[in-house]
Amino acid sequence: MESIQTQAELEEKLAAERLERKKEQMWQRLHSVDPSLSPDGIITIFDFTLSDHVTAENKLDQRVDGLCALTKEALLVYENGKRTKEIKLSEADEFKITAGVGSVTADCILNGSDYLICRSDSSRTAEYAAVMKRINKFKKTGEFSFDYMKDLTRFCEKCGRPLPPGSSVCPHCVDKKGVMKRLWQIALPYKWYLAVSVVLFFAITGVNLLTPYINRILVDDFIKTESPESVLLWQFALVIISLAAVHIVSQLFGIVRSRVLVITSNKVIVKLREMVFSKIQQMSISRISKRTAGELMNRVNGDTSQIQNFITGLMPDLVQQSLILISVSVMLFVYDWRLALLILFPAPLVAMSFKYFWGFIHPLYGRSWNIYSKSNTILHDIFSGIRVVKAFGMEKRESDRFDEVSQEYRDITIRNERIWATIWPWLNFFMGIGEFFLLFYVGNRIIGGTMTLGEMSQFSAYVGMIYGPLRWVANLPRRLVQFTTSTAKVFEIIDEKIDVPDREDAKTIAIKGTIDVENVAFGYDESTDVLKNVNLHIEPGEMIGIVGKSGVGKSTLINLLMRMYDIGEGSIKVDGIDIRDLSQDCLRSQIGVVLQETFLFAGTIYDNIAYAKPTATRDEIITAAKIAGAHEFIMKLPDAYNTKVGEKGHTLSGGERQRISIARALLHNPRILILDEATASLDTETERQIQESLQKLIKDRTTLAIAHRLSTLRNATRLIVLDKGTVAEVGTHDELMRKRGIYYGLVMAQRQMSKMAPKNSAKVS
Amino acid sequence: MEVNEKTPAVPAELRGIVKITYLDRSNCTLTEKNGFLGLRAVVDKPTDTLLNPEKPDEKKDENGEKIHYPEEDNLPEGKMLRVAERIFLSRAFPFDMPRDYISVLDKDKKEIGFIRSLDDFDEPQRSMLERELDAKYYTPTIKKIYSVKERYGFSYWRCDCEFGEKSFTLQDTYRSIIKSTNPDGSERLFILDVDGNRYEIPDVEALDRQSYKKIELYL
Repeated sequence: MESIQTQAELEEKLAAERLERKKEQMWQRLHSVDPSLSPDGIITIFDFTLSDHVTAENKLDQRVDGLCALTKEALLVYENGKRTKEIKLSEADEFKITAGVGSVTADCILNGSDYLICRSDSSRTAEYAAVMKRINKFKKTGEFSFDYMKDLTRFCEKCGRPLPPGSSVCPHCVDKKGVMKRLWQIALPYKWYLAVSVVLFFAITGVNLLTPYINRILVDDFIKTESPESVLLWQFALVIISLAAVHIVSQLFGIVRSRVLVITSNKVIVKLREMVFSKIQQMSISRISKRTAGELMNRVNGDTSQIQNFITGLMPDLVQQSLILISVSVMLFVYDWRLALLILFPAPLVAMSFKYFWGFIHPLYGRSWNIYSKSNTILHDIFSGIRVVKAFGMEKRESDRFDEVSQEYRDITIRNERIWATIWPWLNFFMGIGEFFLLFYVGNRIIGGTMTLGEMSQFSAYVGMIYGPLRWVANLPRRLVQFTTSTAKVFEIIDEKIDVPDREDAKTIAIKGTIDVENVAFGYDESTDVLKNVNLHIEPGEMIGIVGKSGVGKSTLINLLMRMYDIGEGSIKVDGIDIRDLSQDCLRSQIGVVLQETFLFAGTIYDNIAYAKPTATRDEIITAAKIAGAHEFIMKLPDAYNTKVGEKGHTLSGGERQRISIARALLHNPRILILDEATASLDTETERQIQESLQKLIKDRTTLAIAHRLSTLRNATRLIVLDKGTVAEVGTHDELMRKRGIYYGLVMAQRQMSKMAPKNSAKVS
Repeated sequence: MEVNEKTPAVPAELRGIVKITYLDRSNCTLTEKNGFLGLRAVVDKPTDTLLNPEKPDEKKDENGEKIHYPEEDNLPEGKMLRVAERIFLSRAFPFDMPRDYISVLDKDKKEIGFIRSLDDFDEPQRSMLERELDAKYYTPTIKKIYSVKERYGFSYWRCDCEFGEKSFTLQDTYRSIIKSTNPDGSERLFILDVDGNRYEIPDVEALDRQSYKKIELYL
């Protein structure tokens, strides 16, 4: 724990140093452009890369070396060393950015009209957004914070390359030794298992080396003996038996070794998977949504099993083969160094040709892998959208599409296999070329009488043993890369910082239900604020309806209240305590949510309702289902509450699913109930019934409801109208209708719609 | 390419349900102010004001009086003048039709109208549009690829671009390269990097052999 603390402190220090360096660097640039400015008067400096220079041909040459400097009075803009604009802060207003595609524009309102400050490529988007926000704040308060510079582009401490977004590990500098060391730490509790397997490795190597030796005795003393009549049968049998015994022992050792390794690797992998999984659970929604579900699945399952493959497959081979290589080489050199040299001299050549060969074949296989995955994607698409395919009668077209890719895959595979089949035998031949030299040399010696036939067979066997590992080693780099990549990815997840962390002294309280939202501003990324300057006070027991057009930030507000994300500015308080000071467990366990997109887990209806409260009694569950209006349709199902739902389960309609999730939220018995379009898929009659039962339930609970169908909110104590990311109107239905503002417009539009509806349906029928 | 055709090719059964306002040389004049493009256009008055409470930007002078534009006199029935100091252009088909179907939005990002083709405007107005599009869709052309290195799911590129040498990083290389077909059948590539920047290879076959080999794997 202590080392982590110091690590964090170290990082902070480095970040601060970087910030100073960056400031110094920018200041130097500005000084070289405009030496007349004094450093004290400069608040901040930022650069830009694009401008609208129109060339003689009336085209846009966009490149520019631009610099902006903010002083207390004005924003100065320099292009290619010349001051081109001076924007007086007193005349300018509302500094903001406009994101282009591959470009970003910083602009402001000058004397009532939009005014261009500068343009740059997209990599500056976050920086400009942060700077513009701070200039606005600076105008108001006179404060300017540089903290944005730290997180703009996070660079690797070692190589200075920018880090990939959403990751804190530099792919260039992943310390491979470090990764192995950490893997070792995880494996440490099982060191005895590992020790056993190492001993077995030596034993197997030793036993394997025995076989050629026994072979030699067999040939020299029995088969090719000068006095066959002196051979005793039992001696002969003994040699054969020992040959068999060596085999059996070697196999037995092998079995034990594999078992030990499988046990160890599984233990290590399970531990790794647990670590990755619990880390993902702790990550905030924003981090998780940056990665696709497939990617996360891959980290938990795919990458960890790569590591497992390494421990059970590659690593034992690696150890075993290198042991054999070393011991056989040593033996050969001891016997006859000239022979050994003859055998070993093609080895570097072989390794090199293999490397070249891989450089050539790898892209070919990469391509075939690519097309294979494309055909898989098409299959996946067609099967998951089979209803659409059939509904539009597109079966023929889809199967043609699949055929096309399959044929492409076939052609590439045939080509690859042809190349492989042509090259491989030659490669094999060259790898074994040493054997021919050996044959010549050894043959000469046998003819000369300085070597026996048995010795030759022993030698040939050793040569075979040595070429195996050599061929194998040529493949090693590729396999090692796979393994280190996977390991690095796994540790990347484990090392990731939690971005919505609980404070160490996080409080746990019994929530009464007062909610205060103060000056909240929030955006999913720096460049666009979804919510700005939101202020709300909600008393316990109030039912608040949140209305507004799509995309004004209704669901975002709810997400913030549940602390799915941490807010940028302002604070949200529950019972007067900032939610960042509360533990997330405490907060979320007392908030019940019904979302528009209902998710049912694979399991029974009962499991799904009881999800938030596994200890609930059957009576509680039935009551909750009754309030939610779900009981009736559940009882019509043959298996009632034991009906399996979710994937591969009974198909429920959207409305039925929604009612189950309402029951789930009710059973949770939350102090704060959030209904995000909870009744949108229900018909008006069912909705009214549920509303009535909910009405009784929410009496002493704070309820926040989002609904497009405004009639849903007629019982609300107050309505909040969001517009353009901020609270536009607050009041009861009657007050807002009298105001004739946005809410009035929405209500009138819906009334008109409902008037139109019967007419339309009449026309259709 | 049919230029300036007044009744566009919309299937008969869909015609008249939704109205698309097309902007061209006959009803629209582009303006420039403070480095931004603006326009004055004669468009249809919105008919359904309740569902679309559209408030066209009204320009007031210093005394708060509405500014009167000479075009406003003698407007045909059902038409109105829209004046926007700043407009935003958005390509509907950025990859395969960069010069056609360009949506023109006002400062609240509501559509004023559609430009069916840049050829519906004369010089110098056409160049003004082209420049604005070039500026928004900043896409340097890649002339030569020096190296492509793949590591841990990211690929690191070093290229010679139209605007000098550039190094950039792609996440998930296969999905970051968008293929499109040129009118002459050759293949055009768009490359999207992690910062949201875009690069373009107008004709893959026209690349030199060395560069082509480096990206062959991804094609």
